[in-house]
Amino acid sequence: MAFTLYSLLQAALLCVNAIAVLHEERFLKNNCTVGWGTDQGIGGFGEEPGIKSQLMNLIRSVRTVMRVPLIIVNSIVIVLLLLFG
Amino acid sequence: MHPAGSAAAGTPRQRKWPSKRRIPVSHLGMADPHQLFDDTSSAQSQGYGAQRGPSGLGYPTASASPQAAFLADPVSNMAMAYGSSLAAQGKELVDKNIDRFIPVTKLKYYFAVDTLYVGKKLGLLFFPYLHQDWEVQYQQDTPVAPRFDVNAPDLYIPAMAFITYVLVAGLALGTQDRFSPDLLGLQASSALAWLTLEVLAILLSLYLITVNTDLTTIDLVAFLGYKYVGMIGGILMGLLFGKIGYYLVLGWCCMSIFVFMIRTLRLKILAEAAAEGVPVRGARNQLRMYLTMAVAAAQPLLMYWLTFHLVR
Repeated sequence: MAFTLYSLLQAALLCVNAIAVLHEERFLKNNCTVGWGTDQGIGGFGEEPGIKSQLMNLIRSVRTVMRVPLIIVNSIVIVLLLLFG
Repeated sequence: MHPAGSAAAGTPRQRKWPSKRRIPVSHLGMADPHQLFDDTSSAQSQGYGAQRGPSGLGYPTASASPQAAFLADPVSNMAMAYGSSLAAQGKELVDKNIDRFIPVTKLKYYFAVDTLYVGKKLGLLFFPYLHQDWEVQYQQDTPVAPRFDVNAPDLYIPAMAFITYVLVAGLALGTQDRFSPDLLGLQASSALAWLTLEVLAILLSLYLITVNTDLTTIDLVAFLGYKYVGMIGGILMGLLFGKIGYYLVLGWCCMSIFVFMIRTLRLKILAEAAAEGVPVRGARNQLRMYLTMAVAAAQPLLMYWLTFHLVR
């Protein structure tokens, strides 16, 4: 595990890809997590948000921010891996 | 990039001259009274002497005549002036923008150490049990420099310890006939990768638990870098006394780092009430306590993981 910085970069890229391909609909239902609908009201602005809503915020913002850069980085990595193995 | 005059006499040596001499030449066209070498090329001695003087770095006179014609050319004078002004502009640009990428002024705080601080801190890392006061002193809202307070984090010890760890790892591999130069790079890269992973994991946990702390990223790197000191001790003892020495010293250093981390992070992560020994209440404080324990427990594990393969 984590033998080099390069493998760390690979792991990070794979993790961000995993976050980006999460299915939105399944997370809107009540089976596992508190809803995505955290746009309206974060359940009390004075209190600390709690782990689940923090996690939802994090996942949502990562998906929004990294969507376009991920396309670029993934294309580059695919081409480089095809060329250089 | 080469001035027009160089096209006539094009040895490779000539082309290197502008780049080597661009920086030291600050006053062009100034007749210098202390020439290092007598210029024997009579025809171009004027212009050449003016160029040679200020740099005066001892270039051999054998190369004088072929370059003299090249340097006395006004076009090459202009080219050199332009080149040096470009270099000065580039330097200004870097100086202005370096603060955006690497927080140089903030880093200087972490390297403001002196020998006494380093000695006391190393003693604290190996024996933190008698130290009473772990608070960092503040001076008008900013923490005091490490030189004045032994509790302040610094980056000097972690950086030096990391480099020493790589060297000691090379030594250990060498005594077992397993050494090869790329293994050094692999050790360094692996330790850095673990450090980065730790920092990212802790930052993520701090974000998720919404801790309001003044623990900056560089502080965190400093605290996590203190374990390299114990690792070095363990490996050296392992080299001298075999596995028994390694396990004894590593066990001692692991305990010390565990206590050190808990006592240091308790003040930074936990709320003020808990820091004074009052028992924690509520889910929030409990999560913070778990985080502190997890960070402190990860240190001995990593210390063992990064060193056990070096001691046989």
